[in-house]
Amino acid sequence: MSNRKYGYYPGCPSESTAIEQDMSVKAVFEKLGVELEELEDWNCCGAAEVEDPELVYALNARNLAIAEKKGVNIMTPCSICYYNLERSNKALKGSEELRAKIRGIDDSLAYNGGVEVKHVLDVLVNDIGIEELSGKIEKKVNVKVAPYYGCYIGRPPLTAFDDPDAPVLMDQLIEAIGGEAVPFDYRKAKCCGGPLMMTMQDIAFKMARDVLEGAKNAGADCIALACPLCGMMLDAKQEDIEEAFGIKIGLPVLYITQLLGLALGIDASKLGLNKNVVDTKPILGKVV
Amino acid sequence: MIKTWELDPEFKYEIMKESGGEHLTACFQCSTCTLGCPLTEIIPTYNPRKIIQMSLLGMRNEVLTNPDLWVCLICQTCTARCPQDVRIADLLGAIRRIAEREEEAGKLKIESVRPSFDKAFMHQIQKYGRLYDMGLAMEYYREKEGSFFKGMMTMSKDYKKFGMRLFKKGKMGVKSMFPVKVKDREVMKKIFEHMEAEKG
Repeated sequence: MSNRKYGYYPGCPSESTAIEQDMSVKAVFEKLGVELEELEDWNCCGAAEVEDPELVYALNARNLAIAEKKGVNIMTPCSICYYNLERSNKALKGSEELRAKIRGIDDSLAYNGGVEVKHVLDVLVNDIGIEELSGKIEKKVNVKVAPYYGCYIGRPPLTAFDDPDAPVLMDQLIEAIGGEAVPFDYRKAKCCGGPLMMTMQDIAFKMARDVLEGAKNAGADCIALACPLCGMMLDAKQEDIEEAFGIKIGLPVLYITQLLGLALGIDASKLGLNKNVVDTKPILGKVV
Repeated sequence: MIKTWELDPEFKYEIMKESGGEHLTACFQCSTCTLGCPLTEIIPTYNPRKIIQMSLLGMRNEVLTNPDLWVCLICQTCTARCPQDVRIADLLGAIRRIAEREEEAGKLKIESVRPSFDKAFMHQIQKYGRLYDMGLAMEYYREKEGSFFKGMMTMSKDYKKFGMRLFKKGKMGVKSMFPVKVKDREVMKKIFEHMEAEKG
């Protein structure tokens, strides 16, 4: 058992396209009795679009410094935010020269390397632990789930906290809540195409179709994920993808924290299950 | 055809000086990056190994104008599998930044809309400290279509159904018309100005 309080870094989609992820993270942690304190006035991590590493480090030095002043470690529900925060953390911790350089831009970027950064999946499975979670399960989430990890949970090696090709953390959670993780082979950790969504949609859609069809063919009732960009592609764009290829998928896509929340007995509306684009009611019917 | 007299022997050092490009010369051309790349299933000619070899040879212009640079998903599969720790995803990013600088200096033309998308994204952070979806889409479509009006027309056509879908779920509405801003916007400005000054 470790720290029972985290500095919460919600990430930009938390107020719009991934509001159900934000709602479910907050509801789950409240139920578990683990305090989340939102980092005051946090800024964007740089996402996949800011390519200059030094710019990413400077943007995140501010977020890390905010957490350091509060004396909290950071937890974020977004895989891309996690990657940017943690690679910045590693670079800044490893170089006094870099810290000094960035501190020179503005005092608010003064970071001394005293913070840890974790993804919500890492916190749930490795900090809180399956044992504690299992003891708090109130309902069986009797669904077949395709666990979809995307890119930044198991890659790159610098920041990864799970296997790059065959990750397991979400599978463990699914089993703990009474669900079944269906075989999802290499697609588990294959890119959803998200970074090309607005610039090369045809390629992005082909990438996402492969994941969606893989999940459907594996007999899944739904897909579970842990990143808002994956949610955007697989859930919000699912209808567009069906139309583009003349196929029918109709697969609900839930954040893993929504599934866990259901098992913890949290009310569906508090978990934002009416916010997912593909109807989640078929899943609710299997919570017993 | 490789014209040896056109090769730039300094190119590899130029890349290695760029953040993310440091490990370039560790590559021993095993092709693991390309074999694992998910893009090759869609674009069979996509070949990061070849981009690395061309960089090592000094084929500066061919590399910097290669449109494949802008298709990379940054999924990090190549980086995770590379036995020589070349960090290909970061390396391609370093090459892309050199290409963007060359384009800004008027020395080459990038055949991709991706740089304007990235720039529009960065402008949102610079201005507000957070991603403003609507601002990003409007700026990107304006750049892509050549005028504000054309951009708005194409954007509403592309996003009509999608927008409606999000609206019904309460994810897109009056609130999303306006940016969420950080309080300390002065520091965002300072960060971007500093990085800009360092580049130039």
